[in-house]
Amino acid sequence: MSAPRTVLVAGVRTPFCKAGGALLGASAADLATHVFRELLDRTPIRRGDVDEVILGCAGPDAREANVARVAALRCGLPEETPAVTVMRNCASGMEAIACAHEKILAGSGDVFLVGGAESMSNFPLLMGPRLVQFFTRLGKARSFGQKLAALASFRPSALRPRIALLEGLRDPTTGLMMGHTAEKVAQRFGIDRAAMDAFALQSHQRATAALREGRFAREVVPMVTPPRFASAVEHDDGVRTEQTIEALQKLRPVFDKREGDVTVGNSCQVTDGAAALLVMSHDKAKALGLEPLALVRATATAALSPTFMGLGPVHATPLALERAGLDFDDIELVELNEAFAAQVLGCMAAFRDQGYCREVLGRDGAIGELDPEILNVNGGAIALGHPIGATGARLLLTLAHELHRRSARHGVATLCIGGGQGQAVVLEAA
Amino acid sequence: MSTTDRKPDPCDADATGPRAVELEDVQLTVDDGVAVVRLGREDEHMVTLTRSRIDQIEAAIDRLGGRHDLLGVIVTGPGPGMFCAGADVNLIREVTDAAEGERAAVRGRSVFAKLRALKVPVVAAIEGPCLGGGLELALFCDVRVASDHPATQIGLPEVKLGIVPGFGGTQNLTRLVGLPKALDLILTGKLLRGKQAARAGLVDRFVPATKLLSAAREEIDRLAAAHRKSRPRRLRGGAFWLSRTPLRALVVRAARKRLAQDQARFYPAPRRALQCCVDALRRSEADGYAAEAKALGEMIVTPTSKGLVHLFFLTERQKRLGRHPDARELQRALVVGGGVMGAGIAAELAQKGMSVRLTDVALEPLQRAKARLQGTLDKRVRRRRIERHEALAVQDRLAVATAPGNLRDTDLWLEAVVEDLGVKQKLMGDAIAHGLPDDAVIATNTSSLSVSAMQQQVAHPERVVGIHFFNPPEKMPLVEVIRGRQTDDATVATACRLALRLGKFPVVVADAPGFLVNRCLSPYINEAARLLLEGVHPEAIDGAMLDFGMPMGPCRLLDEVGFDVAAKVSEVMHAAFPERMQPCALFAAMVAAKALGRKTGGGIYGQQGTGKGPGRAVVADLRRQRATPPREVSRSELVHRLIYPLVDEAYRCLDEGLVADEQDLDLGLVMGIGFPPFTGGITRYAAREGLATIVARLDELARTFDPRFAPGDGLRRRSVRC
Repeated sequence: MSAPRTVLVAGVRTPFCKAGGALLGASAADLATHVFRELLDRTPIRRGDVDEVILGCAGPDAREANVARVAALRCGLPEETPAVTVMRNCASGMEAIACAHEKILAGSGDVFLVGGAESMSNFPLLMGPRLVQFFTRLGKARSFGQKLAALASFRPSALRPRIALLEGLRDPTTGLMMGHTAEKVAQRFGIDRAAMDAFALQSHQRATAALREGRFAREVVPMVTPPRFASAVEHDDGVRTEQTIEALQKLRPVFDKREGDVTVGNSCQVTDGAAALLVMSHDKAKALGLEPLALVRATATAALSPTFMGLGPVHATPLALERAGLDFDDIELVELNEAFAAQVLGCMAAFRDQGYCREVLGRDGAIGELDPEILNVNGGAIALGHPIGATGARLLLTLAHELHRRSARHGVATLCIGGGQGQAVVLEAA
Repeated sequence: MSTTDRKPDPCDADATGPRAVELEDVQLTVDDGVAVVRLGREDEHMVTLTRSRIDQIEAAIDRLGGRHDLLGVIVTGPGPGMFCAGADVNLIREVTDAAEGERAAVRGRSVFAKLRALKVPVVAAIEGPCLGGGLELALFCDVRVASDHPATQIGLPEVKLGIVPGFGGTQNLTRLVGLPKALDLILTGKLLRGKQAARAGLVDRFVPATKLLSAAREEIDRLAAAHRKSRPRRLRGGAFWLSRTPLRALVVRAARKRLAQDQARFYPAPRRALQCCVDALRRSEADGYAAEAKALGEMIVTPTSKGLVHLFFLTERQKRLGRHPDARELQRALVVGGGVMGAGIAAELAQKGMSVRLTDVALEPLQRAKARLQGTLDKRVRRRRIERHEALAVQDRLAVATAPGNLRDTDLWLEAVVEDLGVKQKLMGDAIAHGLPDDAVIATNTSSLSVSAMQQQVAHPERVVGIHFFNPPEKMPLVEVIRGRQTDDATVATACRLALRLGKFPVVVADAPGFLVNRCLSPYINEAARLLLEGVHPEAIDGAMLDFGMPMGPCRLLDEVGFDVAAKVSEVMHAAFPERMQPCALFAAMVAAKALGRKTGGGIYGQQGTGKGPGRAVVADLRRQRATPPREVSRSELVHRLIYPLVDEAYRCLDEGLVADEQDLDLGLVMGIGFPPFTGGITRYAAREGLATIVARLDELARTFDPRFAPGDGLRRRSVRC
């Protein structure tokens, strides 16, 4: 018997909507439930066929900490179906597929409902440590005097909340915001503001074209929005169809406010959304009579300095290709997550930079030239947004469909990961 | 409580050796100083109070009264999920003499009162139905403990059978929970779950099912330790002020007003019950009980009660349709068509635990379907009918999409799309092509097309069935299950079971134009439209029908369903019965004037259902064209012209085999068009009115007015026979 192979059978995603907007009222579990249910309804499998649910989510709500399990139950899977939430920051959604792939290789199951979901609208405000300590002191106070003293220790400044979204975007080991790491990458490869803005504009233009031609219709399912269900969203709403280079040039840098080049315009958007994929062993798909979308050829995760986390794809991609037995030139399509234009351009530079590949990766020479015409052909997170946990699954879904559309064979989806990692998956059109 | 190692004590004062006393229908054991009275036999699945059971309960209590070694008594049902569902309805049906009814009430209540007279605490351990006489028995106990068993239901539904509680229920409940809550339960017949009953103060403790008996035992031990017979009880707060002070008048006035409105005025029992409840607070205990028994005697012989009891048996009969051995429990549904009917049906299915996918070509109706369901759920959460997480689960079960998806896991496919045979057949074919399993039910909600015709193009005609809901589906209690020519028994039984699961009553109807309800309604609304054109005021027509007991007058009904629907249905009926069912010209005129009713800017009435609508001008125009002089039409003539043809049409349906028997007519028209329930159904009404009278009057109308009134042969034949 040959070694098991993994296939993507089908996938759907919600529209990606700007945080605080259309999907404000939907929690990560709401989003995941919707795509899971839709995917199950579309695919000719029985609910009981699913061996496990794996969902990537970087910031689940405290009420649904194992958001995968909550969504699995809510989407109508049997109570007997186990579910796990995985967290690898920006790659959480891709990690879900990587996990399923590894489980299939290990023989620990055949059918996996996987994906990623993120409600960045609902990242909480946290009580600061001083407020927590105040309540602890008050709770411990026994006598009237102690209570009075505890109450008197209150200072209004303790009320200032911690903003989970911002704190999550800061690397605690280096103290850098993600935007700062993008500046570092730009500095290292000499990427200027004009290049970043041009790339951002191109992302919007490509996404606009994809939307107009209905290319996302294959993957996006409309969602009637909870909790009141008073409206429905059908399309990604972050794409600025009228984006101009002038408007991008006017924006001020946000992270390094004086000398920096990274603006909100050439960074990914803060977005809500979810994507789901049905991942199976090849044999099982065949037994069920299903036509797979794509074959998972290999997955790889690599790590590097957190300061240059944006270069993660440069580290993960060659590893995945090596495992797939492919060369860099075999790749006909690339989805490389656009955390920052600076970081995508940095990756392209690093791929062709002999020095970087030799010194940091320990290779003989450069990896290769990444053709901009095969990179993010339908736009990326700068236009569509980056709901952290969902993006990895979205990239694979978009890649699989685009491979078919262009009748291409091999493609890579890869992303950089806050904290200094990179992950990549090689797909082959089935 | 660990009593497993102890042997039960002897129970008869004069018995020797340990044994349980077998009282045939009531079990009595004594264990460790606590007597347990079980109200039924082990092999029973529904405990009702018959004469002999009441005798046996008395015998059991009398035996316990003779003992001096008891700590307390537990009264409970014979097994899990059972307590006592109240008086045997057959007994209620048989009583024809008020004095006999009063005596029966006095008898039951005196027996139950013996529980209170026992020197030791008596605890009712309630699980399952505790209704009517069952609750009245429990109210004579000193403490009530209820379990969380899903079958637990507590209430006094007597008014639903046209009578008042007669075993002290109005007296004891009012004193226990106060007037407002007592009226809320007694005047509506509403049932409570264990938890709600605890919140209302009706039961003292709400416990997990497995702890029911140990909790009852705990209550006895606690009271015994304190040398008390019962817990101290006093009304507090609002319940006190609204029961024991002159503020009570406010509650009474509000209740009286409610009972005088609309259809409530046809039902005397709630008014008598209200009086009894007030008596509980105003008169002595003995007088209160006596007045209540007298009220029961008076109510139990009313035709209203007899009619309601008749309907009760009919609904029980329909419930058996769902227990057919071939009836399957459906799990996953695809509903096609997101209009009012499709969305409403999908929401009903989701609320009853089915996984539903609702599809439509457009997203907007689907969004409205979700929003409407959320509105319903929010209301139920606010009223504490369900918890938030349960509402969320319902909403999760309803998926909406513009694509049908794959149907491999679907076992009910139901369409509620435009009434076009070709479209429906194509959708059925598509469904099978999309993987609908061979054993799935293929249902249509058509109201005007032939189910048999639909079957002709479908791969599995035996699975095709009509499941005809009425608008609005969340409210209308009838479902017509239409058996097409090739529909098999299992599919019909499964459709009936589905209707019952949704809390609706199925009536199996043959596949004929209009089925039962629209067919019978046709002459009725046609006649109403003709009366309008004769110059009769819509208020007079509707008023006459409201006074007859219909829930809504025919003119208002036309506004609600819409003149477009009425026109379409009348065309179908006209095609089937060209002589008798010529549509009134008003329908087409209203459609042409775009005065369709509520859905447009109003019809006969304004859009809000009040005032004059644009349809009046249409009526006036038509009248001008015809130059018919206005004519006085008496109230009785209105009834004769509207109701008698309805009776005739119902019997024609029966004779043509649309329904199986008269009971189906009775139930179908009460549930389907709101024929007054107090009549007991249309055939009962006709019998009381006299079939000969009806035939004679219809003959007269046919002779002097219009041949369309001529009664059918079936009605004439029956009128001669009786």
